[in-house]
Amino acid sequence: MINIIFKKPYKSLSVKLSLFLILLLTTSSSLWSDSFFQASDSSVEVTSESEAMMKGDELLLGLNFKLTPGWHTYWKNPGDAGEGASVTWQLPKGFQASEILWPGPEAIPVEPLMTFGYEDEITLLTKIKALDAAVFPAIVKAKVSWYTCKDICVPQEANLELTIQNGEKVNTFFANELSNVFLNLPKELSSKHRVEALDDNYFLQMELDGNTPVSSAYFFPEEYGLSSYSKEQILEINKNSLSLQISQSEVDLKLQNFAGVLLLNNQDSRTFFNVNLNLNNNQKQESLSISELVLTIIFAFIGGLILNAMPCVFPILSIKILNFVEQSEGSKEKMIQHGLSFSAGVLVTFLSIAGLLLLLKSGGESIGWGYQLQSPLMVTILIYLFVAIGITFMSNLVLGGQLAQLGNINQGYGDITSSFLTGVLAVIVASPCTAPFMGSAVGIALLQPGFITIAIFVSLGLGFAAPYLLLSFYPSLLKVLPKPGAWMETLKQFMAFPMWGSALWLTWVLSGQVQTDSVLMVLLGALFIALGLWILEKNQSSDGFAKWMSLSSVTILLGAALWLAPTDYENIEQDTSSDLNSYSPELLDSLLAENKPVFLNFTADWCITCKVNEAIVLNQVSIKNALESKGIVYLKADWTRKDETIANKLAEYGRTGVPLYLLYSSEGIPVILPELLTEDMLLSYIETIK
Amino acid sequence: MQYVVSILLLVFLEISYASAKTEEQAPDFNLLNSYGETVKLSEFKGQTVVLEWTNHGCPFVAKHYKTNNMQNTQTAAKEASVVWLSIISSAPGTQGFVTNEEANELTKSRNALPSHVLQDPEGFVGKAYGAKTTPHMYLIDKAGILRYQGAIDDAGGRGFMFKDLSQAKNYIISALVELNQGTEITDRVTKPYGCSVKYKS
Repeated sequence: MINIIFKKPYKSLSVKLSLFLILLLTTSSSLWSDSFFQASDSSVEVTSESEAMMKGDELLLGLNFKLTPGWHTYWKNPGDAGEGASVTWQLPKGFQASEILWPGPEAIPVEPLMTFGYEDEITLLTKIKALDAAVFPAIVKAKVSWYTCKDICVPQEANLELTIQNGEKVNTFFANELSNVFLNLPKELSSKHRVEALDDNYFLQMELDGNTPVSSAYFFPEEYGLSSYSKEQILEINKNSLSLQISQSEVDLKLQNFAGVLLLNNQDSRTFFNVNLNLNNNQKQESLSISELVLTIIFAFIGGLILNAMPCVFPILSIKILNFVEQSEGSKEKMIQHGLSFSAGVLVTFLSIAGLLLLLKSGGESIGWGYQLQSPLMVTILIYLFVAIGITFMSNLVLGGQLAQLGNINQGYGDITSSFLTGVLAVIVASPCTAPFMGSAVGIALLQPGFITIAIFVSLGLGFAAPYLLLSFYPSLLKVLPKPGAWMETLKQFMAFPMWGSALWLTWVLSGQVQTDSVLMVLLGALFIALGLWILEKNQSSDGFAKWMSLSSVTILLGAALWLAPTDYENIEQDTSSDLNSYSPELLDSLLAENKPVFLNFTADWCITCKVNEAIVLNQVSIKNALESKGIVYLKADWTRKDETIANKLAEYGRTGVPLYLLYSSEGIPVILPELLTEDMLLSYIETIK
Repeated sequence: MQYVVSILLLVFLEISYASAKTEEQAPDFNLLNSYGETVKLSEFKGQTVVLEWTNHGCPFVAKHYKTNNMQNTQTAAKEASVVWLSIISSAPGTQGFVTNEEANELTKSRNALPSHVLQDPEGFVGKAYGAKTTPHMYLIDKAGILRYQGAIDDAGGRGFMFKDLSQAKNYIISALVELNQGTEITDRVTKPYGCSVKYKS
């Protein structure tokens, strides 16, 4: 006010006085007066840790609000009503100010609403930095507006200023207080934490180390639309973890982040932590970026290539090698035709499977990779097929008809379709082996839009067919293979054994799906097929009535074998001891509720990787002892038969096939283990469990 | 009798507390206006309705009236034949609670243009809508569907008192324009800002 009164009458006074006035008018009005301002029921003061600083230094400034008891001011998110303080710094050239650093707030209920703010006293911090261009003495100004509220709110504003000199930093009277406030700002949350949206609630879960007992907790959301402020937050403390239930907001703003500040109280301290988690708003269908897509397709190709070396493809591989050996005597053109035909068979099968998967997926059925072998009928037919192929290898039988040609593919000169069918067979037999290499990729494929699924399956098929294609185009590569001769017959006969071995394995798979009697029936069916093939071979060169007789008896035997095949699952008496360890969602939940660590093994009899892992790792005494000593409960989810609950659990982890190994800590947080286990690796995982 | 009705209302409204959801049927209510007449929301079916929670003592509300921002919004609504209901949910003895006479005097002195000023001293209606602040705005379409809830404009946030409200985006006017054009309402839920509603505790 003084400035205004002086302004007119003294305008033409001495230069000295004018300068003084200009200084007053430009650098301050009556409001730019002090570092302290007294408002009704509150005061604010700008404080600094030091009155001097050098270029390059950072300086902590504070806005210290003091409130009359019963009054409060707000946090950056005020809750249901009110508004946090606004600070506009006016800094001289060469200075930079940080955002306001907000100390953790208190929950201040205003029934029936909830607000977040501060009572009694609060210091909002700002860091300023002097750059090279800084000029001293520097006058730092702050324009502050805030609300002082009780049941009513009073808006207040103040203009404060502070002068900073050039020099070494020397602690002021406020330095201690400022650094205390700074140290108590919300910290990064280092322990494992996550958030889950369930029904109308969020569950914020975090691990606790035993040293910091928590007596109460409260989450202050940063943004509007996340949670319902006035609803009670329910804390559940387990031995090593806590879970805070927070009601979701009535308004759904589809927020992407669960962000805010978590307050943990114990007897003598209050600690604030920053929480910023991603909320996947049911976006399970995460889209792949182009580079991820390309990478997935490349991996699918490599995976397909590797399939050729897998044990369950081995019989087919040997068949094909035989085939190529014989073909190498044929024309180059034929070779290429066979190679293309085989590849076409592979691709068509992969595409059909992709199509079928998509179809079933759209039908909502729970399916998975290797699922073909979940059908007892499919298993039985494969058993018959392998038995028959083995027998034709051993005999001099030349069969007609398409199915027989499958087994007769070593006679590859003839029909191009035989190569095609070999391709088909190769894929079907190979499918259980894809899990370790392709489990994740297939999982991704199934969660992707249809065309990506198809692209992945085509790539898988191309990789699988690539070696054969290469050999058929460049038969010179075949020269590395031995010259044909009498050894071929020996080799062919020998190949019967892997075939029968496969049949044996499939029989064991079947025994997990149907009763012993039914397995016996299938073996009887296999016997019929062997008998039929023997009759065929005996009458190979005969004709007329004998030929007719043999063909009709073979037909009857084949029919009988198929009639004997089980079509669906049967109840198997399970021994009760294994029942204790068999997975059910309820059992898992109850174990986790008791804070017991759990090792969960998703397996299936038809999954070779699973069986290998079990044999060489899981069933080892060292592993059993380690699990026991850590009190880890071993659960087995057997997916040999179709099982909705297991398929659902697999889907939670983006899987559509087994194996999958989960190790739950006592806090109930699962770690996904690799699909190919080793003893040392598993032991080191077990070691991490407390 | 009134007691029984209150209890029944309480039961009904407690169930629907804070349940007003955008794109759903707006909860119906019965309140007395500043002339002592009963006003029922459902009697305005076929008309667009704006609900304004107000408290003349709240500095946020005061700024909206002092700058004529609220009156300008009311004028725009009136020109579009929109029913404007100003609702006072302040409990007796708290800030914003007014007698009918005072309410009418405020309307006159501020040149306000509400269709009705409604008295909700028990806070039933405020709680049914989940009204948290003054001002807190709701827009109900001709079919009785709640189409907007939240702030009057985007001037909320820290530093409100320094802001020029004529530069702010008025959510009510935008929503009314969009509703009239039959286009999708861009902002259907925003964060309300202002003083807390002074409910009876």
